[in-house]
Amino acid sequence: MKYLTDSENQTIQLGKKIATKLKGGEVIGLVGNLGAGKTTLIKGIAKGLGIKKPITSPTFVLMKVYPTKGKIKKLIHIDCYRVKSAKEIEAIGATEYFGQKDTVIVIEWAEKIKSILSRQKIEINIKLIDKDEREIIIKKYG
Amino acid sequence: MIIFGIETSCDETSAAVVKINRNHFFVLSNVVSSQIKIHQPYGGVVPELAARNHIKNILPVINQALIEAKIKPNQVDKIAVTVGPGLITSLLIGVQTAKILAYTWQKPIAGINHMVAHIYANWLNNKLIKFPAIALIVSGGHTELVLIKNKNNFKKVGQTLDDAAGEAFDKVAQLLNVGYPGGPIISRLAERGDINAFNFPRPMIEKDNFNFSFSGLKTAVLYTIKDLPKKLSDKQLADLSASFQQAVVETLVAKTIKAAEHFKAKTVILAGGVAANKLLREQLGKKVKGLKRDFLMPDFSFCTDNAAMIAAAGYFTKNTPWQKLRVDPNLEIK
Repeated sequence: MKYLTDSENQTIQLGKKIATKLKGGEVIGLVGNLGAGKTTLIKGIAKGLGIKKPITSPTFVLMKVYPTKGKIKKLIHIDCYRVKSAKEIEAIGATEYFGQKDTVIVIEWAEKIKSILSRQKIEINIKLIDKDEREIIIKKYG
Repeated sequence: MIIFGIETSCDETSAAVVKINRNHFFVLSNVVSSQIKIHQPYGGVVPELAARNHIKNILPVINQALIEAKIKPNQVDKIAVTVGPGLITSLLIGVQTAKILAYTWQKPIAGINHMVAHIYANWLNNKLIKFPAIALIVSGGHTELVLIKNKNNFKKVGQTLDDAAGEAFDKVAQLLNVGYPGGPIISRLAERGDINAFNFPRPMIEKDNFNFSFSGLKTAVLYTIKDLPKKLSDKQLADLSASFQQAVVETLVAKTIKAAEHFKAKTVILAGGVAANKLLREQLGKKVKGLKRDFLMPDFSFCTDNAAMIAAAGYFTKNTPWQKLRVDPNLEIK
């Protein structure tokens, strides 16, 4: 599926829409350059899951865990921007969350840890068309 | 009272001995083993590598802290250790070591919030702090405004909604291809640059709240570079650095002053690793003094991660039985 958004708000709305389709257990990989809007889309997903806390960048700590209310109990936000190998993500215990039925995992710079993403079900590609416009392609596997 | 502090939340292994006598703080030792050179080639802290180096360093650092303070373990009254926020693999090593010390030395132990400790670093100066105070805590992982009603009452009133200020420095340094860590490098480049050469946004400066946003600023730098030749001249690097740094500092200062006025703060405190930024220290200090309020910041060595501030926080923090002490990588000031 291909979407075009032309503002930050529209990207957030798309994230919210994605959230309504989630059932739990999903591993969502986000691919796109610095400034493409990955974090903005995740802010939308978090909003859609009812998370009120601000979604801040996990670049520094690599992973942040947000409790949610409802069938999905946790949103795990992973950032592989600084990561050189998938081992680093395993080392912080992130993979323990993979595949858990009550958890949704979103991974920025997912292409860097392909080797441990066999459970990845959704890949979202975000491309900057120009300053405000973004092309967002959602692919589902399995 | 003698408090033994341990800090391993990120990439610095640190142990310190702080003596408190009639509310006066004396830092008897503050040993910091930095791993910055180890992580430099990776453009950021690698958690697993940090953890392995903490394991290697922690006992020598603890031993050194005791030797420099000229005290024996039986003279320690209390142990204080960072339990979060930070990298889980790094935190675990400090906490586990501290628990073992508490068990073998038979001493009480307190789990410390690293962000709170950055504020308590200001107590190490032994200056009178008038309340209420507003603290701006800026580091690689955090940008927060905290209202301090009294020495035990902290409330977060604002924070970054995306990237931390220190992270923005790191990411822009990467965009400019000038190395890591970004903060000191950008500051150095900025010294020869023109702050008005590029007009970068001052994110959220007009918004009626105490929050920050630095992700868009990083993106603005990205667009600007795209329109410039691939190989940037020294002048362009200096101008980009100066204009970017000015945008960050102006935003931090404006929001902090806004919070100080709103909450009628008598004191403004600057804390955290980015407090080492000269321009921020100068510009915030000038504005605060203009408002006739007290401006406090820790000594340079207590700005970056260190165990002396953890020990200072230990003085104000309740003990926890070691069996119940847990790390919390996402710990916050509420």
